[in-house]
Amino acid sequence: MTAIALQPQVHPAVEGGLHLEVTDISRQTESIVSITFAAPEGGRLPSYVPGSHLVVQYGSGVNAYSLTGSGNAPSDYTISVLRVDEGAGGSVAMHRLSVGDRVNVSRPRSAFAPASTASHHLLVAAGIGITPILSHARAAVERGNTASMIYVHRPDAGAHVAEARKLLGPGLTALIECTNRGSFQSVLAEALITQPLGTHLYVCGPVVFMDAVLEEARSQGWSSARLHSEAFGAAELDAGEPFTVHLARSGVRLEVPAGVSLLDTLETAGKTIPNMCRKGICGECVLPVLRGAPQHRDLYLSDQEKAENTTMMCCVSRSNDPELELDL
Amino acid sequence: MRSASTPPAAGNGLEPGFRGVICVSFGSTGDTAVPDTDGQPRYDLHFEAATADTLLELKSVFGSSRVGVRLVLAGPPTDIRAAAAVAADCGLLGEEVTLLSQETGPRFVYCPHCLSTTVDVTAGTEVTCHGCSTILAVTDHFSRRRGAYLGYSAHAEEAA
Ligand code: FES
Repeated sequence: MTAIALQPQVHPAVEGGLHLEVTDISRQTESIVSITFAAPEGGRLPSYVPGSHLVVQYGSGVNAYSLTGSGNAPSDYTISVLRVDEGAGGSVAMHRLSVGDRVNVSRPRSAFAPASTASHHLLVAAGIGITPILSHARAAVERGNTASMIYVHRPDAGAHVAEARKLLGPGLTALIECTNRGSFQSVLAEALITQPLGTHLYVCGPVVFMDAVLEEARSQGWSSARLHSEAFGAAELDAGEPFTVHLARSGVRLEVPAGVSLLDTLETAGKTIPNMCRKGICGECVLPVLRGAPQHRDLYLSDQEKAENTTMMCCVSRSNDPELELDL
Repeated sequence: MRSASTPPAAGNGLEPGFRGVICVSFGSTGDTAVPDTDGQPRYDLHFEAATADTLLELKSVFGSSRVGVRLVLAGPPTDIRAAAAVAADCGLLGEEVTLLSQETGPRFVYCPHCLSTTVDVTAGTEVTCHGCSTILAVTDHFSRRRGAYLGYSAHAEEAA
């Protein structure tokens, strides 16, 4: 157990953030651990909107993870991380943390907030997608709202199941666990046609799962303003191939190594690029491409926009060509 | 004063769990004002005006409906706006509600000074607030939630 983890420089994405200590590690499943951070000197941490995420620095990189608490006057922050061995390294580094380690994290960022006008929240989670959904459920219970939850996980491998069950009561009125596809299909179909008018739906899990849920909801007449999704449950992307970027305006060439994002590379080189989710979801980090074919890995651009190759999301996307030229 | 195309079962007559199109018309506006619902189950209601009783009935209709339902409101602006405000309160979203307004007749003006709502029969540019007698200039800003146009003190600068 190391007293203080070796932290190189503070990553730009967590600058102005918090320096926290790991106070608890708890294993949820074989591949998911929950990590709790608190201020080394104790005390309150900034409150956050349910469904918010935290950017956590690991070594020289950063990764975003959903917070699992309600966000109301927290004294600690808890994230849960699914280990992806062939990923870019963030999840493996997170799994190596021990109690007492110090990490740099951002302030919580909100990109999956509950609708303020909703009178009921229908929460749908698959796998690691439970993390922001649990946050929503806790917030609903604390704020005197109601929610019901459908949670799809492998048999005996559901993270946070005990915590979700504990919330059952007047706030969380139902928790339906599904451990196979067929049962989920019928549970979802039933839920989509029986919700009172003030209901909003929130879904988090693998991208194909979310797409299927949203599609089904739309076909049942759910208008898009009622539908909220969050792709933090998406598995970590692979490390990718190294490539070069040429910044046309500043006349600079930078190498982007495997396992390091273009956004990270640009930030390390002193560029300030607006960003938020760092997962290819929010669209904040868009960059204009002048030459070369980006390898689009984001969930933001439409297929057509991707085919045009004139813009890219630098937090996740890489290059199919050895060199990309950017209008920067 | 109600004519429903579905035979009334209990209470408001709407089959519980309804997810089709609810078409509500007011005053002289007939059901024909409401366009075809494209084969979707449809539930028609007609009222003379959006009275407190009418709005209560609408509320119970919305209460037995489920997400997926659409609402079409046809008639004089004051009526359909009062109904739209109830719909919003019940959780219907703007994009789920179609307003077919006959642009004549009285409208409501909300007074931000005393928080009361005044009927503006003449639909002019100014109206005297029945709550605090302030002369209100009527803006184009319509609050769906209140079902009223926002007014502001027309001669504030002179009074000051
Ligand atoms: S930061 Fe959100 S898409 Fe890149």
